Amino acid sequence: MSDYGVLLQQVVNGLSLGAMYALLALGFTLVYGILELINFAHFNVFMVSSFVGMWALELLGISGQGHVLTGPALAGALVFAFAVTMLAGGVLGVAIERLSLRPLRGVPGTAAMITTIGVSYILFNVILLTVGAGSENYPNPLPVVRWQFGEVTLELKTLLIWGVATALMMTLHLFVNRTRLGKAMRATAQDAEAARMMGVDVDRVIVAAFFLGSALAGAAALIFGLYYNYTSFIIGYTAGLRAFTAAVLGGIGSVPGAMVGGVLIGLIETLGGQLIAVRWTDVIIFSILILVLVFVPTGLFGRAVPTKS
Amino acid sequence: MLSRRSLIIQLSTTALVGALATHARSAAAADKTVKIGINLPFTGADAHDAELIKDGALLAIDEANAQGGVAGYKIEVLLLDDGTATAGQYDPAQAATNARKMVADKEVVAAIGPQMSGSGKAMSPILSQGDLATVTPSSTNPDITDPKFAGQYRPKGKAIYFRTVTTDAFQGPNMANYYADVLKVKSVYVLDDSGAYGVGIADTFQAQAEKRGIKVLGRDQLNPKETDYSTTLTKIKSLNPDALYYGGVAQAGVKVVKQASDILPKMIKGGGDGLYGAEILRGAGFPAAEGWYATIAAPNILENPDAAPVIDRFAKKYGQQPENYSITAYDAALVILDAVKRVAASGKEVTRDAVRDAIQTAHVKTLQGEITFDDNGDLRNREISVFRIVKDDKYPPDDVLHQYKYLGVAPQSS
Repeated sequence: MSDYGVLLQQVVNGLSLGAMYALLALGFTLVYGILELINFAHFNVFMVSSFVGMWALELLGISGQGHVLTGPALAGALVFAFAVTMLAGGVLGVAIERLSLRPLRGVPGTAAMITTIGVSYILFNVILLTVGAGSENYPNPLPVVRWQFGEVTLELKTLLIWGVATALMMTLHLFVNRTRLGKAMRATAQDAEAARMMGVDVDRVIVAAFFLGSALAGAAALIFGLYYNYTSFIIGYTAGLRAFTAAVLGGIGSVPGAMVGGVLIGLIETLGGQLIAVRWTDVIIFSILILVLVFVPTGLFGRAVPTKS
Repeated sequence: MLSRRSLIIQLSTTALVGALATHARSAAAADKTVKIGINLPFTGADAHDAELIKDGALLAIDEANAQGGVAGYKIEVLLLDDGTATAGQYDPAQAATNARKMVADKEVVAAIGPQMSGSGKAMSPILSQGDLATVTPSSTNPDITDPKFAGQYRPKGKAIYFRTVTTDAFQGPNMANYYADVLKVKSVYVLDDSGAYGVGIADTFQAQAEKRGIKVLGRDQLNPKETDYSTTLTKIKSLNPDALYYGGVAQAGVKVVKQASDILPKMIKGGGDGLYGAEILRGAGFPAAEGWYATIAAPNILENPDAAPVIDRFAKKYGQQPENYSITAYDAALVILDAVKRVAASGKEVTRDAVRDAIQTAHVKTLQGEITFDDNGDLRNREISVFRIVKDDKYPPDDVLHQYKYLGVAPQSS
């Protein structure tokens, strides 16, 4: 491979990673935009969802790498798995909000944030203790299809990631900007008190933000499993931290910021690994984050509410 | 260097601990029980293999107890887990805590474990201070027993870290010889998983590979908690070496195996004993694992006809096939049981010190032949066995005994 070819391949790799980070970053940003709360439970909502996705596929009789589907059967299986995983992620997110965060609403300080860290640990340990600690051989119904464009290899699963991530982000964008509930979300993000006075049901908006963010984490989790054919109880930490960084880099609270931040972090990771060395990845990512925050303290897309798109 | 004052304090503490220990021992001798500590990572990415190792050790201990114990002593087990949820695999900090627990339990006269060298490095100095010998069935990092590092890993001088496997001073280099002589590899890329074992074995492999004229096109380090290794593997693809060598354990290994099968499908790929085990077969699965080379730092005991009855009893008792390190664990237990027996037979009290000395002078017939140790605790037999993962449809896909095909002994460096 030429230098140019390998860089291009790393861009392809980076965009796939970035798409996952972006979906995950949206969950941080939606909740932060409305509650100004950093929801660390999101890390492990992602992790738990990846197991739900695995069980959904296994329910269809797909396990390991031996059950390749094509055509309508594949489409059906994927739609089913995405629906189950996103719903489960969303419901889990709402349950966390309802059970552990709503009682703390209005408590000043960091109580709510610390609670989300606690919830995160609970989810982590529940999976560890019930499912076990091994690496799971994630079921994969996708046929291995590769296209060669010059020196760059594109795989079917790469296109699937890009396609699903783009479709979900477009849908979210339309939802936030074109629906009544989306409008209520934007209003609450700008000024929750004023929105309440205008008759916006703020609790409902918060539930919606948790549901949407967590459902996107569910989608990211299933994509993650299908792409790497792997999950484990530890996957939340690294992916979650990178996605959180992406949200901050893009400007936490900003929907387009999370998308751009996710893709940027993905590209920084792969190109940094290629040009320097993979062991320096975290040093590179967090140095860039600090530089951005020093010069643009609000992140690339401003101190924004989900509206400034 | 110890100051005179701290030396005095240390000596007097040792004397105090010794006095307490003697007291406890006379109480214990009445009901004639001794304990063996077992420390393995039952939590995290190596849990499956840790179970298989534990079962091997327990088989030997249970069989001894079923025959009325050893020289009148009933053997009890103190089982400790050095894997933690936060680490997701073995955790050296937990291993150190466990070593202290073993040292604090007066009835523990010897230990089995750890599985991982990273834990071994943390435990060894503590065990040395407590005069407690351990026999590891699988940890292969050479530094722990290297006299150069004696001050660090056995501050009290005597060897306390014994092994029923050899070390990466042979496992890495001999595999480099195998790459050069048998696989005719001319260029290689080396990866490690940032752990003590992984870095160590990758270093020794790399040094010998260079000595043998294999061009090392690069070396990088993986974060075992990371999932995406495609960046590294794409980089390796662009350098197009003949082969890849991975030094590390299963947590990163499973993902390397998976993703390499996508990105580097045709390259020769191999690693050390971190790639030998049920965890790789379960986590990576087929077809991804197909074709990987792996070594163990021991003879291929499972194919020794003498081992057949033990394998049968193991399979019957635990419902799954053992792997080679189940048998080295069985051997480790035999070494300790033999030491206890000889101490008791000589009429001495079964103390930690006496058991350690007896292990040091062991001539135990085990399933891998007669075991003897050098002054550092290392096995005198230094055989490295090479395997290749070749799917055998007649057996379960995670059956180590049947999915790893034995290829032979890796060439020793002259």
